[in-house]
Amino acid sequence: MRTTLLLAAALIVPLVQTAAIAEDSATNDVSATADAPLTFERDVRPILKTHCWQCHGEEEELHGSLDARLARFLQAGGDSGPAIEPGNHAESLLYERVSQGEMPPGDKQLSEAEVATIARWIDGGAKTATAEPESLAVGDILTEEDRAHWSFQPVIRSPVPRVASAERARTPVDAFLLARLEREELSFAEEADRATLVRRLSFDLTGLPPTPEAVERFVNDPAPDAYERLVDDLLASPAYGERWGRHWLDVAGYADSDGYSVQDLERPWAYKYRDYVIRSFNRDKPWDEFLVEQLAGDELLAPPYENLTPRQADRLIATGFLRMGPDGTGDSAVDQDVARNEVVADTIEIMSTAVLGLTVGCAQCHAHRYDPISHEDYHRIRALFEPAYDWKKWRGPGARLVSLWSDDVRAKAAAVDAELKEIAAQRTAELDQIVSDTFERELAKLPEDIQPAARAARETPQDKRDDAQNQLIKEYPFLKVDRGSVYLYLEDRLRGHQKKWDDLTAAKRAERPDDDYVRCLTEVPGHAPVTKLFSRGDHNQPRQDIGPGELAVLSPRGSDVDIDANCEELPTTGRRLAYARHLTSGRHPLVARVLVNRFWLHHFGRGLVATPGDFGMLGEPPSHPELLDWLADEFVRGGWKLKRLHRLLVTSTAYRQSSRRRPELDAVDPENRLLGRMGVRRLEAETIRDALLAASGRLVDSMYGKSVPVMPDEVGQIVVGVDTRDSAGRPSGKVVAIGANEFRRSVYVQVRRSQPLGMLEPFDVPTMSPNCQQRSSSTVAPQSLLMMNSPLVVQLAAAMAERIRREVGDEPQSQFRRAWMLAFGRAPDADETAAGLAFLSEQTSALEPLNENGQPPAADADPKAQAPAPEHAALAHLCHALVISNGFLYVD
Amino acid sequence: MSHFTRRHFLSQQAFGLGGLALAWLLNEEGALAAPEKPPLEPQTFDLKPRRPANRPQATAMISMFMQGGPSHIDLFDPKPELTKRHMQTFTGDIKYDNAAEASSKLFGSPWKFSRHGQCEMELSELVPHLGEVADDVCLIRSMHTGVNNHGQSINALNTGHFMNGRPALGSWMTYALGSENQNLPAFVVLTDPGGLPVLGVDNWSAGWLPSVYQGTVVRPTEPRILNLDPPQGLRGPAQERFLSYLEGLNRAHLDERPQEHDLSARIQSYELAARMQVAAKDALDLSQESAATHKLYGLDEETTRDYGSRCVIARRLVERGVRCVQIHTGSQTWDRHGNIQKSLPAVCQRTDKPAAALVRDLKQRGLLDTTLVHWGGEMGRLPVIQNEKNIGRDHNTYGFSMWLAGGGVRGGYIHGATDELGHKAVENVVTHNDYHATLLHLFGVTQEQVVFSRPTGAGALVNPQDGKIMWDLLKQRPAEVASTG
Repeated sequence: MRTTLLLAAALIVPLVQTAAIAEDSATNDVSATADAPLTFERDVRPILKTHCWQCHGEEEELHGSLDARLARFLQAGGDSGPAIEPGNHAESLLYERVSQGEMPPGDKQLSEAEVATIARWIDGGAKTATAEPESLAVGDILTEEDRAHWSFQPVIRSPVPRVASAERARTPVDAFLLARLEREELSFAEEADRATLVRRLSFDLTGLPPTPEAVERFVNDPAPDAYERLVDDLLASPAYGERWGRHWLDVAGYADSDGYSVQDLERPWAYKYRDYVIRSFNRDKPWDEFLVEQLAGDELLAPPYENLTPRQADRLIATGFLRMGPDGTGDSAVDQDVARNEVVADTIEIMSTAVLGLTVGCAQCHAHRYDPISHEDYHRIRALFEPAYDWKKWRGPGARLVSLWSDDVRAKAAAVDAELKEIAAQRTAELDQIVSDTFERELAKLPEDIQPAARAARETPQDKRDDAQNQLIKEYPFLKVDRGSVYLYLEDRLRGHQKKWDDLTAAKRAERPDDDYVRCLTEVPGHAPVTKLFSRGDHNQPRQDIGPGELAVLSPRGSDVDIDANCEELPTTGRRLAYARHLTSGRHPLVARVLVNRFWLHHFGRGLVATPGDFGMLGEPPSHPELLDWLADEFVRGGWKLKRLHRLLVTSTAYRQSSRRRPELDAVDPENRLLGRMGVRRLEAETIRDALLAASGRLVDSMYGKSVPVMPDEVGQIVVGVDTRDSAGRPSGKVVAIGANEFRRSVYVQVRRSQPLGMLEPFDVPTMSPNCQQRSSSTVAPQSLLMMNSPLVVQLAAAMAERIRREVGDEPQSQFRRAWMLAFGRAPDADETAAGLAFLSEQTSALEPLNENGQPPAADADPKAQAPAPEHAALAHLCHALVISNGFLYVD
Repeated sequence: MSHFTRRHFLSQQAFGLGGLALAWLLNEEGALAAPEKPPLEPQTFDLKPRRPANRPQATAMISMFMQGGPSHIDLFDPKPELTKRHMQTFTGDIKYDNAAEASSKLFGSPWKFSRHGQCEMELSELVPHLGEVADDVCLIRSMHTGVNNHGQSINALNTGHFMNGRPALGSWMTYALGSENQNLPAFVVLTDPGGLPVLGVDNWSAGWLPSVYQGTVVRPTEPRILNLDPPQGLRGPAQERFLSYLEGLNRAHLDERPQEHDLSARIQSYELAARMQVAAKDALDLSQESAATHKLYGLDEETTRDYGSRCVIARRLVERGVRCVQIHTGSQTWDRHGNIQKSLPAVCQRTDKPAAALVRDLKQRGLLDTTLVHWGGEMGRLPVIQNEKNIGRDHNTYGFSMWLAGGGVRGGYIHGATDELGHKAVENVVTHNDYHATLLHLFGVTQEQVVFSRPTGAGALVNPQDGKIMWDLLKQRPAEVASTG
């Protein structure tokens, strides 16, 4: 009873403070003493695991020969004798050491409550819940309690529950949610109005605001399936893949640069992975296939990877997923061994948080402190990747590129290269002739009697010249004329020669096919290095050999899911392919749960598991476990098709609810975990920029291709554009036009780890170190300054005003109505219109009219700037206010 | 229509959010049965000044975070025994960060120490300016975090815990106390032109505290805050009307969505941004400082100009009521694994004069009593040589130094000691938790005021069982506190 109450409290009201929890567990212990004796497994083991096992159980060498993993071992004791004296804590060494603060060493001591628990357990007879095994292998730390954690259990599809208000349950999803709400005597909110729904759906499915026309169409559509058709239209839009692909790119840690060191080298070919992701979403590629390609696409092909079909190329491109983490190995200034091992560690981190929803990385240096993931487990996962990422036989980022050129293209390029070489040779020969001619010409100007000596001086190597020759050369510097200085003696300064050969070279170079590379993960056939367990995660302390495999806790007891170290049928080791197939077998307890939870998170603003990257002990338990399992099962049964799942979720009553808070709901569920309404959510960074571009009419919807470059502007803010600074970072003054690229969707803008776009950075665009499980949504003044004053926002507001004038003319009421529709996706009411028109008129009359030169008379005016007419400026200000207001930045 | 007028906007502003929330509650009262207990406390997260539980001695903090680990045995902690055993082999137990290059040869400090001030504090010739303010400095020679990596030890000093993702000290301070100045961010971070310290932006992240407590970065070069200038055509009265209209839009939007805290936080953020346009400009305008001040902080010299400017800015911000300012050095500035004889003096020359000037300047302006100044990194260095070919020192988090000044700490006082070689803190050890507990005490903040509940459990800056107030560091002892508090 007590447990149920506590759980319910934890679900609804976050516990107040640590001190309270500690006190609570202390009182809990007292009542437990009255009810049942403490057990090792439930009460003591977690304490010892956190504080003691690193030295007493997890490593081959036990400190003081004491193993603290079993009560049996404690009683057997170590060098100092038995650690416990059952029934008498005062006589127990374990109690003495921890209560005196002698153990553990260092400043992280046990809390008083923990010490008291140990004492009571000893006094109660040091009981165990079940019989303990005689011995444990090194690192074998799993118990029934570990295995019993909810997320490690098989997915079980529960029957859809019955609900009292069956009419409100459009889908099984609703039934699960409503059943839970009804237990609290709550229900769903009323359905949101149509304008709200179309805006919610558009942002959610495409990351773009609905056009005013789309709003009108939907709001006035009398067909009973109007909503469903809207959903289908949006899912069919190419913008869908850009939006949902972006979510996955967060998880993959997508970046167009290496990060790791200040150099932050660019990754010019990373974009192909981004395009692959977007394409896969738009084509609704089944997720089992999508995951297998990303984890082992290379192993579906045979090396050498040449003359690839587009489909084959896609499989290589997909492995870019495993190449997304920061990579310092292209920077010679960093410690290579450290950098290489970091690449492996980051890749494991990305893979495990993305697909397993576990922080496997914590087991890199020692057994996971909270989850049953051993140091060996970590290295089993590492062994999956080591054939491709061998830190001792490393291939740098450049060496990992695979060319997509066909043999024909390659031959063509080779021919051009040969010709270019020939051109270069001819150029040098001609230059040498010019040098020689120049020398002869200048020599002829000297008195004839000096000429032979001068010629001899020139022809004598520098270190062999005598004093007289040196003197001559000092007197007549032309005697040293060479390729570098000959221009000084020529009237046209060599320009004719240079231009001729530059043009010839450029023309020839233009014939060369463009480079076309894939950034991917591949293995070298026949190469399978042995993975060593790194003691404390230190590659300088290798220990025993470890083979590839799944985490022990995810394997049925006694039958570790072993991955063959080498698959005979494949030219590669096949380790990743086997692992990927194991993950997508449909029987893995985590993969489908983790995926559907992520999809849920993006639709509803919070995951059914609120910690999408941590399904372990420290993660939050699911708010609706049966629903999570039902969805996971449904997803797999439905062929791992995401669009099908989207339809299921967004057509639910739950998704179509109003976002308004209700006092009776807030009183029970202030954080809205039970979904008795929709949440109010701020747009993400990219969506804000894209929505601004859309409202202004400037959005360019071309898809795919090389990333739009970014550069620092004159004040150091990162903007879209070609960086033309020299190698020392000084501005060159050159401006390279990027045309329509400037206003493409944010997903196509280069993600430079060290240079986040100024428009995105304040709005919590993730830093990708190495990836992002869930974005934060901060509210700080620099965001407001950006929205109020940044040149880009001002420019886009003016563009929006211009668009409105073009579309509806000069009549203020029409202008206002159009502006409101563009910004908020609904028509303004009378109050809103009156206020807007009042602002327009006040602002227009307060702005001083232009003088006869079309210039504003204000003193602060930039004389070069072309000032708009007051009514145009006022309309731009109105648009500006609308697009930076909360109504624009948030979605109901 | 009426709720869009400017007067309404102004009255709302004066009324404030509390008023708005109250109005909402009153409005709703008719519909609600009187609750037996007060409902869940309405959560408003803002930066309004809040009264600490106890009488504070310090009201603002400037932390000079010296990332990389300044060598305490070459700056603050003279070790004659080490000098005596120079180049002898050390036989004790040492944990190296870089075992590959480790040597066990002891290395006496190449720099001379001398006594400074009435307190006769022994300091090295690398920090001559600090010597001039020694009588105001409380030097701790027994710091200990016990975790030898930069990241974890930074976390320890800066968040109270080793792991990533927790709120920074400045976030906790503003969460507990708000700010005295509503025209500037409450927690300001001054970054180095050389780049961000190790852990980057996480150093001033609010972690899982509400985002309003996140540190705001003031850039190391001009313009120090981006987008402070309103665009042409939208300045003065034009911007006022614009912002007033925006406010009306946002208020009406919020009226329909009561209790959505992020919406009201953004309204606050627009208000702050508008005020910052003027206030931040003024606060960051160093041309207002006298020539004497420029000279004092070394703004007239290339070597000290950058760090000096940031120290002056910190003082100007605190003068204006900003709660917490942290000045960062770049990545691994103090991490002298090699070439220590040349590189360490260079770092000291950049920072020593401005840091000492900050103490002196705060004092002459009467601000030192209420401003706690902190100078320190996440670790010290080992007494043995790392890499005999290129002499440097490896990490040491088992014993290192840092100093405090002002804000209720004892000036001219040296606390604790390391062993005879400077390896481990052995006397009056101060852990990061102790430091935080002491700091909270100086601000009158109880440990309960720096606890935050969240879905996965509660989090605190420091847990009571982990950190002890270091009374020796303070001017006022428990008895005095009791009588004044």
